[in-house]
Amino acid sequence: MTRPDPQSIKAIAAAGGVPVDKETATRISNSIGPAFEGFAAISGTLPFDLEPATFLLVQTAKS
Amino acid sequence: MSATDPALMSLTQVASAIASKTVSSREVTQVLLVRIAKWQPHLNAFMAIEADDALAAADAADEVLAKGSSKGPLQGVPLAHKDMYYDRGKTVTCGSLIRRDFVATTTATSLQRLKNAGTVRLGALQMSEFAYGPTGHNAHFGAVSNPWHVDHVTGGSSSGSGSAVAARLTYAALGSDTGGSIRMPAHFCGVTGLKTTVGRVSRAGAMPLSQSLDTVGPLAQTAEDCALLLQLMAGADLEDPTTQKGDVPDYMAATKMSLKGVKIGVPSSFYTDDLDADVSRVFDETIATMTREGAEIVKVDLPDQRQLASSSQIVLAVEAAAFHKRWMIERPQDYGPQVLMRLQNGLAIPGVLYLEAMRWRGPALAAFNAAVVGVDAVLAPVAPVAAPTILESDVGNSPDAEAVIQRLTRFTRPVNYLGLPSLAVPCGFTVSGLPVGLQIIGRAFDEAKLLRIGAAFQRATEFHTRCPELPRS
Repeated sequence: MTRPDPQSIKAIAAAGGVPVDKETATRISNSIGPAFEGFAAISGTLPFDLEPATFLLVQTAKS
Repeated sequence: MSATDPALMSLTQVASAIASKTVSSREVTQVLLVRIAKWQPHLNAFMAIEADDALAAADAADEVLAKGSSKGPLQGVPLAHKDMYYDRGKTVTCGSLIRRDFVATTTATSLQRLKNAGTVRLGALQMSEFAYGPTGHNAHFGAVSNPWHVDHVTGGSSSGSGSAVAARLTYAALGSDTGGSIRMPAHFCGVTGLKTTVGRVSRAGAMPLSQSLDTVGPLAQTAEDCALLLQLMAGADLEDPTTQKGDVPDYMAATKMSLKGVKIGVPSSFYTDDLDADVSRVFDETIATMTREGAEIVKVDLPDQRQLASSSQIVLAVEAAAFHKRWMIERPQDYGPQVLMRLQNGLAIPGVLYLEAMRWRGPALAAFNAAVVGVDAVLAPVAPVAAPTILESDVGNSPDAEAVIQRLTRFTRPVNYLGLPSLAVPCGFTVSGLPVGLQIIGRAFDEAKLLRIGAAFQRATEFHTRCPELPRS
């Protein structure tokens, strides 16, 4: 997954009800880009029936 | 400052001294208030100092003791906490302009449980705005200074907690840890800090930043102090349905045990990469000390920690932005520039990506658990460096601000994503005299093992007893 460009950030932010200007969108793109890249190997690979609540099951499982 | 100065006692020592009437609550409260008056101009650690109320509460606590009674194990012990714990009738600023006049109508469960044990309120401690900053800068109330060198940062976001505990202005303080906000100030300021397992301590009445990652925990002089505080705060709470039901372990008993038979993992990479020379030396010396005390040290190959840090950043950014959306629309000018910038980051993350990061938490924790099978805890640095200066870390909302923040928090964020407990312990000093702390990362809900290791290490070392000197004006 590639980092979002400023144009798409402007669109997402506006759709979310908190519009940002181009300068802010560029800065956001640079700030969160590394997180997108770090998660790229995981994104799109998770099993179909995996739920967030799995975390609680693993957390409380007896080792 | 004399060797018998009650301000230098640990939390457990002063609690015992007050209970046995060796000192009174008024005496120790007065001593701390005098220290606070001297140190505050240098540190900016307190958001509010409530001297008259504290002394009145101390007198009331002493009266209870005089009648042969006691509310609990912290009867008459004066404390101050990060200014984000709701305390009914008190102003709780959350380090912000937006909540500068917010008066709480409820009391946080964690705080109430400490009050039920008899504590006296000294005031409230400074923090990063809305707990969203790892250095201790605050655009509205000024940076908090590190008592070991006032030109250096304390770490954040529990900046006042780290600074005040280190300078012996409070015997302990509540902090909160969403991305490293207890461990970072503990490391930079030379105190002990416990990041608890998600679900161990109620978050009801604590200002939220990220509902998935937020944790409540103490900073104090010793692991034993942290054990006592956790003992009082831990456990189920109807006001916070995420808290774990069931019995709370005997943490104080755990601190009496030795390191013999304990197996500690040392990561083969990531946490040992690119360390500053002082941090690297302290890390090696700590391993040697733990070995000498009977622990078995083994290498562990952990899963990719960078992916965990990225996932943590995605979850935190989205959840923080969601909490703050209304104010981001209505009052953007009332945020500090860096905090607004970081909140805006969350706007650009698609919902599907956020949910993927949440869905991966379970498998990621399972993979971590599998990598540390047979190991009781993992030893790692809190940060690759000791405290930077206030000036060099004042990145504001510059284009590289997030990169600086990510570097400081790269060893703490993975632990938050996995929801694991971690105890930061003072382990040494740099050649220039700044503290270096290391973190001991444990299994979910096994804070007892971390407190055992921390307490045993502190019986063999004296770093946690060192106290900074008041700067010359």
